[in-house]
Amino acid sequence: MSGRPLRTFAVLGFATTHTALAAEQLLRDLGVPVTPIPAPASIGNGLCGIALRLEPGDVERADTLLERAELRVAARGDIEDV
Amino acid sequence: MPASSSPRPVAYLDHGATSWPKPEQVVHAVTRALTDLGGNPGRGAYAMALAASRAIFESRRTCAELLGVPDSSDLIFQPSCTAGCNLMLKGTLKPGDRVVVGSMEHNAVARPLEHLARTGIEVVVVQGDRTGLVDPDDVEREVRAAPTRAVVCQHASNLTGTIQLIGDLADIAHEHGALMLVDGAQGAGHVDVDIGVLGVDAYATSGHKGMLGPQGVGLLYLSPDLDVRTQVEGGTGGGGSESPDMPIERPDRYEAGTANTPGIVGLGAGAAFLIAEGARQHRRETELVYQLIEGISQIEGFRVLGPPAGAPRVPIVSAVHERLEADRIAFALDRTYGIAARAGLHCAPWAHRTIGTVDCGAVRLGVGWGNTSEHIGLALRALREIVTS
Repeated sequence: MSGRPLRTFAVLGFATTHTALAAEQLLRDLGVPVTPIPAPASIGNGLCGIALRLEPGDVERADTLLERAELRVAARGDIEDV
Repeated sequence: MPASSSPRPVAYLDHGATSWPKPEQVVHAVTRALTDLGGNPGRGAYAMALAASRAIFESRRTCAELLGVPDSSDLIFQPSCTAGCNLMLKGTLKPGDRVVVGSMEHNAVARPLEHLARTGIEVVVVQGDRTGLVDPDDVEREVRAAPTRAVVCQHASNLTGTIQLIGDLADIAHEHGALMLVDGAQGAGHVDVDIGVLGVDAYATSGHKGMLGPQGVGLLYLSPDLDVRTQVEGGTGGGGSESPDMPIERPDRYEAGTANTPGIVGLGAGAAFLIAEGARQHRRETELVYQLIEGISQIEGFRVLGPPAGAPRVPIVSAVHERLEADRIAFALDRTYGIAARAGLHCAPWAHRTIGTVDCGAVRLGVGWGNTSEHIGLALRALREIVTS
């Protein structure tokens, strides 16, 4: 079966749902598009809640904004579009 | 006489126990949680679970805004204020510690401390005066006497309405290296609470009294520097699921198990209501309390407990009658007049002992949102008739 080529996204995981939602709100408010997804097992740290998916090109800015807001990223990785 | 068989009272004056009715926004929020937010918050990323997670996140932030908590993750949802008090006390005190506590405490604090006293914790009780006030000088004397781990005090009395001098007590505690732990069940929602200004290390409160949320939810603020041992362990839905230990991150560290979404969302709606209407509501409660105290004081045989008329208090007015027992008065208020009030010891035997009413109890009228001057007038007329009949 042929289809569109898979895209790769960056994924950021957080220790708590509260932090993940705070990060989502912050990044969206500051113009970084993110999508909450089930935390992929592949990014480790035993996450079983939600993670944020974003464009790889936005990761550096997201990291800066999150660090400034003291919202700690607990795990990170890549995921192919699903 | 009550007009129908409905259990709804003609005048509800038991806000010290729980608020009723609830603002429409609270009812709507709880209903929406049950109809639209049915997913398990923090456990899934599908739309309905995510919506529940977001609603809890927003509720926590709204409560933090109302209470002046800088970082909302330091505000923990609990099943009740009692559960919050237990966590606050059992999570910070250990055998060998010494704790200084006021004598006006509710059983939510008194019973955990009585339990802890049997495990090797020294509990020193500082006597309040006949108005229910715990004098900070008396507390300081005890704190100076020996190394003390914590000062524990209620924000306001559920019996007399007395507002304790928490800021002064916190200063004393910190000056001597002790923690300041507060049971705010009767404080938050009825008086302005700014955690930053109060300077306390922990503050537990009810979600369903002055905060106007539904029953089954409470709040516990924990200072970011305070290391509190967990009392309940389990799933949190967040990170570190493979670890045998609870996460160190708040709020998850203290929120094992599925959250009470309807309760929390309703509480958030109550907090939002208070942010908008709280100042006006406090003024109205103060006026009604003055009307009530003045009226009861004019009925022969009654003695109003607590601070003198005109002194600050939360909207609770308790009284004893020289001849009639409190339970008979409360029963007549309900059966004959449809007025809801509470008699007895109010789960506060320490407080009753302090003010000398442990043998007779008192009848308590708690004023709150939804009460009007008419309700107070009905109660006063009923009390007059009860004692003269």
